[in-house]
Amino acid sequence: MSDEMKSQDSDADSDYDQSDHMDDDDDYCGYYDNDTDDLDIDKPKKSDDPEYFDYELLQIEDVERFLNEEVEVLCSSQKILPSLAKMLLHAHDWKKEYVIECHSKNPSKLLIDSKVIPKVKFQQPISGPSLVCCVCLNQVSREMLHDLSCGHMFCGECWDAYCQVQIQQGVTLGISCMAKDCEVMVPEDFLYSVLSKPDLRDRYSQFSFTEYVKSHPALRFCPGPNCPIIVKAKEAKAKKITCNTCKSCFCFKCGIEYHAPTDCDVIKKWLTKCADDSETANYISANTKDCPKCHVCIEKNGGCNHMQCSKCKYDFCWMCLGDWKAHGSEYYECSRYKENPNIANESVHAQAREALKKYLFYFERWENHAKSLKLEEQTLEKITSRIQEKVMNSTGTWIDWQYLLDAAYLLKKCRYTLQYTYPYAYYMEKCARKQLFEYQQAQLEAEVENLSWKVERAEITDRGDLENQMDIAEKRRLTLLKDFLDY
Amino acid sequence: MTHYDFEVTGSKVARCHIKVDMVNDNFLELIGEIIGPPDTAYDGGKFKLEINIPDTYPFNPPKVKFVTKIWHPNISSVTGAICLDILKDQWAAAMTLRTVLLSLQALLAAAEPDDPQDAVVAKQYKENRKTFTQTARHWTNVYANGPHRECELEKILEQAKNMGFDEHKARVALSSSDWNLERATESLLTS
Repeated sequence: MSDEMKSQDSDADSDYDQSDHMDDDDDYCGYYDNDTDDLDIDKPKKSDDPEYFDYELLQIEDVERFLNEEVEVLCSSQKILPSLAKMLLHAHDWKKEYVIECHSKNPSKLLIDSKVIPKVKFQQPISGPSLVCCVCLNQVSREMLHDLSCGHMFCGECWDAYCQVQIQQGVTLGISCMAKDCEVMVPEDFLYSVLSKPDLRDRYSQFSFTEYVKSHPALRFCPGPNCPIIVKAKEAKAKKITCNTCKSCFCFKCGIEYHAPTDCDVIKKWLTKCADDSETANYISANTKDCPKCHVCIEKNGGCNHMQCSKCKYDFCWMCLGDWKAHGSEYYECSRYKENPNIANESVHAQAREALKKYLFYFERWENHAKSLKLEEQTLEKITSRIQEKVMNSTGTWIDWQYLLDAAYLLKKCRYTLQYTYPYAYYMEKCARKQLFEYQQAQLEAEVENLSWKVERAEITDRGDLENQMDIAEKRRLTLLKDFLDY
Repeated sequence: MTHYDFEVTGSKVARCHIKVDMVNDNFLELIGEIIGPPDTAYDGGKFKLEINIPDTYPFNPPKVKFVTKIWHPNISSVTGAICLDILKDQWAAAMTLRTVLLSLQALLAAAEPDDPQDAVVAKQYKENRKTFTQTARHWTNVYANGPHRECELEKILEQAKNMGFDEHKARVALSSSDWNLERATESLLTS
């Protein structure tokens, strides 16, 4: 029994994931495309979906093959060794065409820029059959000494020890010559020729692979814990990636949690700020509030911000504690921060207080939606078990109740975007565009809360009404993203 | 490791005014000493350094910090930690302790205020060079046995001491507030 439940669960999961990056209607796109064009006029196309992004999820072996192909292209076109080709590509962010162009025009300039050869070669004064190695200061015979293209000679033992220390410290592609102020890099084949320990060779190839992936603009490791997946995309854009293995959802450009409509720099600034100021904000985001009418203490145990006091039945907003009626769909004021218009004339202290107030306003909302998202997970569980119950009692089949799950997933998606509108608004300059943004944000917020309210009371809401609400919420979300997700 | 010669030989030491001694009978813990270069605020001061040699020396740099208190933008006035490229990423295995000590001497002669270790000192260095030089000379005189006294500063310090503050704490507070007694007192009382 429970096994069955699980498999159904995971089915639902994967359905959701697909629909997440291939818009729901895309499944039918092919069908309609074969037909006449006029049928899909009002269907969102790939190019219409502001969140659409073309990417592949690859295994390590696939990526190794892909990188080797890139190296091979350079090797065969310029007749150079793979070891050198790798250095050149790594030094120039894997811009193959650019490297080929530079190498055909002026190879020595490219090699100097890539730190493969020195600007000026060092002439080691050679007197007699032996020399002093400048690192261990031992007398070593000539054939025991090795140098890179720069001409700085050191004994094999020192090179070996040096490379070992570097690899153990996680340095691979950045190992340079041991001489003072010499920037020439140690190539892979030289390293393998001096390195005595086989296990360190493996580690070198492993670490250098990681470095290659990190430096390649079209590749990114999935940030999920111990997840081996590597994402490959044509353009380095801040778009949503959903990993099929560990299910993490992240931004391709910066690798942290997906954050539309806020962009990468801003979200980083916001997250750092939140981490810094968390102490101040902690007490604010306490989990309980008093009912504004009868003052009974209320704990929030669901995602919806439309609260109804269980004692006095007063409908209010969890965020601003105002009457819910005023939150009618036309003008949802609660997401908008009202700045003190005279702030420029106030004292420094008042300005600091105002700045803190402003930050707390946005932080509270950001934090509240994050919490709601977590609570929404519980709603999902509740819905699943409720559906299970209904199916067992022969009130409809699993498929009949599927729309409830869809609604819960959509709610999660909308609330997620809504959460990430707050850092965006916080850093936005006061202007007409901000007014438009806040208007759309408020619209989205109102619809998300309506949806949340309906999902939590799904049994008494009829299906048509709920699906209508889903449609409205998703449209609001897409409208906001289309207008403000500008890249 | 055992046979690495640190290459700080007698004659060179005498000429450049640098010196290295062992603390215990091993090469891993050393005490270095450099003399402040002439025509600088550190002229004639004897600065002691704590030098720790890592197992991976010379493939990793030695760990060096000032034991003697010093007022310098790239050296922490509290801990003696040093911000110098060759002690970090610019270290090369072919360098020696001699290179390190000479580089430190050069750092005393030419600070890098844009890459500071001590932000307070660096700010003073950039905005109020005269006060910086006086303060650095005063610290050299007091902590490193430098020959040049700064009587003007000593007078202000005496006033702070008479108010009952600890001498070193008062010196730090005064140095950090450009020798403004009022501001220094305030910071001493609030800390």
